[in-house]
Amino acid sequence: MPILDRPLIVVSTLVYFAVCLGLGVWALRRTRSAHDFWVARQGLGVVVTGLATMAAAFSGFVFLGGPGLTYRIGLSSLFINLSIGFTPTLLAWTLAKRLRLLAEVREVYTIPDAILARYGSRRASGAAAVAVLVGTIGYLGAQLLAMGTLLTAVLGLSLPAAVGLGLAVLLFYSVAGGMMAGVYTDVFQGSLMILAAVAVFACAMSAGGGFGQVVHSIAASPRFGRPFLEPLGSTPALTALGFFFVFGIGVLGQPHMLNKFYMIRDPRQLRWLPLVLGGSQALCLLIWLGIGLAVPALVAQGKLAPLARPDDAAPAFLLGFTPEPLAGLAVAAILAAIMSTADSFMNLGAAVLVRDLPRALGRRVDRELFWGRLATAGVAVAAAALALGYDDLIALLGTFAFGTFGAALAPALAVGLNWKRVTAAAATASIVTGTALNLLLEFLARQTFFPALPKPPLPPGALPTAVSLAASFVVLLGVTAWTGGRHSALPEDISAVMEA
Amino acid sequence: MARTFALVLLALAALASLAAFGLGSPAAPWLAAFGGATFPVALIALGAVRRGGLGGLWIPLGVLWILLAGGLAAILALPAGGPDVAGLPLATALMIFVLVPIPLLGLGLLYAFSFGRLGVREEDLDRVRRLRSGGS
Repeated sequence: MPILDRPLIVVSTLVYFAVCLGLGVWALRRTRSAHDFWVARQGLGVVVTGLATMAAAFSGFVFLGGPGLTYRIGLSSLFINLSIGFTPTLLAWTLAKRLRLLAEVREVYTIPDAILARYGSRRASGAAAVAVLVGTIGYLGAQLLAMGTLLTAVLGLSLPAAVGLGLAVLLFYSVAGGMMAGVYTDVFQGSLMILAAVAVFACAMSAGGGFGQVVHSIAASPRFGRPFLEPLGSTPALTALGFFFVFGIGVLGQPHMLNKFYMIRDPRQLRWLPLVLGGSQALCLLIWLGIGLAVPALVAQGKLAPLARPDDAAPAFLLGFTPEPLAGLAVAAILAAIMSTADSFMNLGAAVLVRDLPRALGRRVDRELFWGRLATAGVAVAAAALALGYDDLIALLGTFAFGTFGAALAPALAVGLNWKRVTAAAATASIVTGTALNLLLEFLARQTFFPALPKPPLPPGALPTAVSLAASFVVLLGVTAWTGGRHSALPEDISAVMEA
Repeated sequence: MARTFALVLLALAALASLAAFGLGSPAAPWLAAFGGATFPVALIALGAVRRGGLGGLWIPLGVLWILLAGGLAAILALPAGGPDVAGLPLATALMIFVLVPIPLLGLGLLYAFSFGRLGVREEDLDRVRRLRSGGS
């Protein structure tokens, strides 16, 4: 990765860290209880909730990986984002209302808490907790590695030192302020992400000579050509449609997004959630489209050398074609994207250890605030150590963490919170199927540790996660049909939540 | 009735997706497109059902299905994405300028303006809050 050690970029990075630390100090004074630590006192407005949800969802992949993927496979990469047309409203109608009302009647701070409240089954909530923990380790480890790599480029530190520096900032505000700090840093980070994305998009189109010139250059280029601009291009249809399915429906199982819905102060403010969330996501994705189109156009126009690695697309553009202040803003925004996702997972991982797994075993932890802070630090340090020591494994786990969450949790939540007949047995079967099948198929598809192991027997281009997500829904519906006549009546408060 | 229909759609979408991505066949992309268009419609319908009905939501959900299914079908059917529109293949232009902004704005506004009927009503909130401490 090219070195980003320009003075303004370094200053932007340090100022960004200082603001995060300041927010941590502010949150520390307001975090007095487990309720504050896990769900920010349930005191958020809809704009804060929407921005925090977007920031938690959009990691550094949107800013770095997305443009790199586009450089590699063309505009078929947009199938990953195509579903944002409906996912905010899908989330609102199927889950946001139910989860927020559930938080009115029960002490629910996590997604396994919601599973326990809905199904009354420690087995189901325990299975959900395991799925969350496995996904969290991979997701968090991958974010810490990405953060360290970026800081190495900006500050010239070794990778362990860079990971350590970023982790120190993350730990300070996450341990001190828990979700209170996490959410308000997410708002700051989300705002930075939107500002940078819009500005870089404008710069990208200008650098390429305008949208028309950009697409014309790409289409006329022997290196890229018209297939680059086609929706499928050289990408198999099953791969593209798999992206659409996994990211469109798998979003219903992402705990780092869903737990934000507990925190909205007034359930009536959910009215505006789809527009706030969808609007902020669409603006952020402009950077994916902008750099994704501008870099191949600039290569085609001879203004930029062909990239040795597709993932160099964003750094190459920021270094070579943006004013240094904007590059500084963009680097801070990339760090913001990474850290806003990481802090959500630190909180989630701690909650699994301190709340979800103990409750699944029939126990409760006293002094939850104290142990929550300790677990937050423990989860982060463990993920960092794994990421540095076993970077291939962490990179592998990180790439399919989204799919693991989706396959494990989406059916039990999205269907189970809207249909009373779904039984605990069906939910447990679905969660276990989604988790185990996704881990197995993805591991077999991607691993290089054991060359003798066969690849999974899937059609060409099919994504393993698409199979496990679809299978998890089929299992939920099938087991419900089989066991639904034997379900017991729901508690009155849960019924009321599901009838609202 | 509405809930049953939503569940039937959901089951069909799940089976179509599993067949497409798990088994393959020449029809696999079309099955995947059917699943991709039907899943969100079925799930939104399931979440929005109130006292067995959808209160007029059938029409916008039908429009959503037509938009998604039509868009995905165009992507699959048009050779090389179709003719150019503003420098982009037609199917790509549909993705960027139709399939994202129209549902995003249309569904978002629909949700906001129907919230009083199909979202969180005052009586729902009152009922839930009365039960607050009883079920913990």
